[in-house]
Amino acid sequence: MNTRDLVLIALFAAIVVVLGLIPPITLGFIPVPITAQSMGVMLAGCIIGAKRGALAFLLFILLVAIGLPVLSGGRGGLAVFAGPSGGFILGWAVAAFVTGIVAERFVNQGNSEGRQFVGFFLASVVGGIVVLYAIGVPWLSAVTGTPLAAAATGSLVFIPGDLLKAAIATLAARAVYAGYPLLPARA
Amino acid sequence: MLTSLYVEGQSWFHRVPVRLKLIALLSLSLALFATNAPFLLLPAFLLCGGLYLSLGMTPRQALSRVGFVLLTILVLAAVNLFLVPLPQVAALVLRLTALVLFAAAVTATTTIGAFMDEITILLRPLERLGLLRAADVSLALGLVLRFVPDIFERYQAISEAHRARGLPIRPLTIIGPLIILTLKDADTIAAAIDARGFRRQ
Repeated sequence: MNTRDLVLIALFAAIVVVLGLIPPITLGFIPVPITAQSMGVMLAGCIIGAKRGALAFLLFILLVAIGLPVLSGGRGGLAVFAGPSGGFILGWAVAAFVTGIVAERFVNQGNSEGRQFVGFFLASVVGGIVVLYAIGVPWLSAVTGTPLAAAATGSLVFIPGDLLKAAIATLAARAVYAGYPLLPARA
Repeated sequence: MLTSLYVEGQSWFHRVPVRLKLIALLSLSLALFATNAPFLLLPAFLLCGGLYLSLGMTPRQALSRVGFVLLTILVLAAVNLFLVPLPQVAALVLRLTALVLFAAAVTATTTIGAFMDEITILLRPLERLGLLRAADVSLALGLVLRFVPDIFERYQAISEAHRARGLPIRPLTIIGPLIILTLKDADTIAAAIDARGFRRQ
């Protein structure tokens, strides 16, 4: 890994920390507030690609584990991994990786703008929602003893918010891709 | 801006080596998930709670660190009341709360430096395989701590620019510029690192 990739990984982890400091937005029609930090997974995969995105999130998870309050709301420490949603936090690294794979596969410099939007949105949904829930929900069910079907049904509440996040991440990722493309330069 | 969750103190748990604390946390989680018996889980819960409260934090401080996680546990327990038998719900609350409190106690009594030393040792097998270098992990960690205040300042500057133009502050219009401006520095920072020979390549 060259020094530039190392720096990109560290800077992206730092951006995710800052996204946690931005006050969450509440929307009338969605029951849960949207934190900018939870968009980080989609942004990381779409902007710096699979390998670097996953490493940025491994670094971020390391920051949480060694006791820095970097999660939105000033949370952090080993306690969050012991709690019910520990799987979602550990799943971020995998989710960023899958988002990156899909984005690298479907988004190319030569594509029309519309196709790039579709590619980024697909990547955000597959990696940031499908893969993340496929790890987080069974984990939650295993830790708390809630039947898997009930846990899965319950998490449907978050899907509208997540789709909105994927849309915002798509627009932001495409803006970065147009202004300062990093995706094709694989790590 | 980024102050660690470490709490200054002289308690006996502060003096336990990190490795021992991490092994204890791992064994405790394996042990607590192996049992459903309240007569084992209740003492574990009381011991972990007692340990956590004996670290020299005010009750308010102590609660604010674990409040959110405890809240999710209670919400899920409330849901579980309708789905699984009561003794199982009680076991779940005791088990998870005990684990969360013990984990919070480890975090509160371990400095970042101590954690990093332990991580360097844990990474050694990967280093031998040539997959990564422990020094790179420390360097990346240092870079994050160094640049978070800068990036936050940049975020505030972009919000100010929004306000000056009477635009609503929305994540969509902030995230793009924030990421481009930040990542554009990568080349300069990488050049500075290489010029100083930090990575000895």
